[in-house]
Amino acid sequence: MIFIYLLSGLFLGWSLGANDTGNIFGAAVETRMLKFKKAALIASIFITLGALLEGSGPSGTLGRLGSVDALGGAFTVALAAAITITVIVRLGIPVSTSQTIVGAIIGWNFFSGRLTDYGSLLTIASSWVFAFVLSAGIAALLFYLVKPLINRSRMHLVEQDMLIRYALIVVGAFGAYSLGANNIANVVGVFVPVSPFKDISVSGLFTVSGVQQLYLMGALSIVVGIYTYSHKVMRTVGKDLFHLSPITALIALLAEAIVLFLFASRGLYNLLLSLHLPTIPLVPVSSTQVIVGAVVGIGLAKGGKNIRYNILGRISFAWIAAPVIAFLISYLALFIFQNVFEQTVQQETSYIFDRISITEIDDEGYSTDALAMVNGRKFTTEQAIYKELKAQGELSRDEIVQIISIAEVHLMQVDVPKLIAAGLHRSFSEEELLLLRRYQDRKFRHKWQLKETLALQPEFETYLQPETELQKNHNRIVEGKLQTLYRSFRVE
Amino acid sequence: MALLLKTTRFVESQIDTFLDIVSDSATTFQLAIEDYLAGRIDQFEERLSQIREFEHRADDLRVSIERFLYERTLIPENRGDVLAILENTDEVIDNIKDSLLQFSIELPQIPEALDDLWMQTTRASVAAVEQLVFAVRSFFRDLAAVNNYIHKVYFFEREADHIGERLRRQIFGMDIELSRKSQLRFFAIHIEKISDAAQNVCDRLSIYTIKRQL
Repeated sequence: MIFIYLLSGLFLGWSLGANDTGNIFGAAVETRMLKFKKAALIASIFITLGALLEGSGPSGTLGRLGSVDALGGAFTVALAAAITITVIVRLGIPVSTSQTIVGAIIGWNFFSGRLTDYGSLLTIASSWVFAFVLSAGIAALLFYLVKPLINRSRMHLVEQDMLIRYALIVVGAFGAYSLGANNIANVVGVFVPVSPFKDISVSGLFTVSGVQQLYLMGALSIVVGIYTYSHKVMRTVGKDLFHLSPITALIALLAEAIVLFLFASRGLYNLLLSLHLPTIPLVPVSSTQVIVGAVVGIGLAKGGKNIRYNILGRISFAWIAAPVIAFLISYLALFIFQNVFEQTVQQETSYIFDRISITEIDDEGYSTDALAMVNGRKFTTEQAIYKELKAQGELSRDEIVQIISIAEVHLMQVDVPKLIAAGLHRSFSEEELLLLRRYQDRKFRHKWQLKETLALQPEFETYLQPETELQKNHNRIVEGKLQTLYRSFRVE
Repeated sequence: MALLLKTTRFVESQIDTFLDIVSDSATTFQLAIEDYLAGRIDQFEERLSQIREFEHRADDLRVSIERFLYERTLIPENRGDVLAILENTDEVIDNIKDSLLQFSIELPQIPEALDDLWMQTTRASVAAVEQLVFAVRSFFRDLAAVNNYIHKVYFFEREADHIGERLRRQIFGMDIELSRKSQLRFFAIHIEKISDAAQNVCDRLSIYTIKRQL
């Protein structure tokens, strides 16, 4: 059954393989510097590696935007995104998988009455703009660096061509790796919270975790997309959108690969963090926007005469249209799936304002005056509570979101063997698992109850008011672990 | 690195050899005209056979380079341009050979009074070809220098036209038969055509250079 549900994610993977590989190898294949077969093979290998080794960072960010909690919901969200991509690509406009999946997830949030985390949405949306600008900047900088180098090198044209060819392979591989790392979240990210895969030990040598298996399936679907449809898209990208010379193609590709990597690498993120440098959020960005940014950057560095503004306009239109269309299709599809096909697209969740939760809200320092209207009541959607509390006019959106999370009923029972059976214990240290074992079979009604119980121990302690990026990152890591526990220990 | 570039080095040396042949042909042409004007017809015939040999070798090299570039799919973006440059440059050798061949067949009687202008026209045309060889070499290795050489080709081509015109005026101002005047004019124009061929290559080369610029 899981495979049927996964089909929509695989369809999305296929469309990503078909579309986004064109952004990596389009110019190289179109200028005949690389043969399609070679480009497809390099893309397949390195996209898969990137997805498996570094795909978790951007997935986390997408998860914070909206954690689709039912397999049926994940299926519909991915399907909506895939349909949107197919429709827009049919119109001959390159489209971003990142934007469609975000639109579709927000569609699920609206349908299931959840509040969208505007903080995450803002991080993601601003990253799209930032990625575009950064890519243009890097490409322009590379152009200024490479131009005098090429002019001074006095390398023979044939020799130069041969070196560019090798460089296109190496940089293309890096680009494909970064694409896999950055964009796998778009393909199977929505399935991560509901992944039913268990760890598999390969001859006792290494273990492939459940999430990695999910990523592997996503990566394979991307590979199918590359081999079945990407050649046509490469032609469109390389010929119609921006005809680049091999050197400029290489510069654009390098800029794209760097940007995708910056937005995907947890290793780099941690390194920047440890050096107390500003970090770049791990967000799935659009390879289309990034390559367009790089081409614009090179165009501007050349004096801005060769930029085809009408094509840029068409692409920019898709940047706005894609999430909106995906949102609408997602909402409609969820409605149909729930009401016509009677599928579970969301977990039944309730929110209760009883003595325990009101006391906790008070303890957390929120004003309970505005809670008079909800006191003693039970709600089934976040939106309903939000409307009630907002009408009081005393609480800010952030405060309401926090209050809702306290009131949320999420029945759990600590079950370490279950955690191990699902292969999720790998995210935890020995000490943490030992601690969890001490609470074996303990029941909790709210997420904050489990969090507060564990926070008494140093392993799960968080900074109340994190100031530095390092402290914020620590909190994010602990929060990630807690999310895993909330899902794993859930009982009906 | 050396191993990676082994394939390219071979075709690079072929292109260089081809351009050496063009340059040698131009120099040999000048020597052949000097021999002819000095009445050393045997030596002139020897030069002609040398040029015939050059022409064969240049043709073979051009075909070999062409085949190599296509078979190894090298410089796909510039391949058409490079082959056009080589083909057009090859035509310069053809012009040189044709000119000398006509001398060998018709053995025109050139009055001594014309020797100086005749040599000046020849030197200007040969200089245009030599600058063309520099320009083509630069196209492969030093793009920034191409325009300088192209400029010089244009200069020598104009110079050849200018001196050639003076030569023809002098021919028709002489007291010789009209048929002889007509024959001499034909040979004078033949020498000017060599620099015209060099200029034709440069017309293309300047466009290809713009295309290659970053």
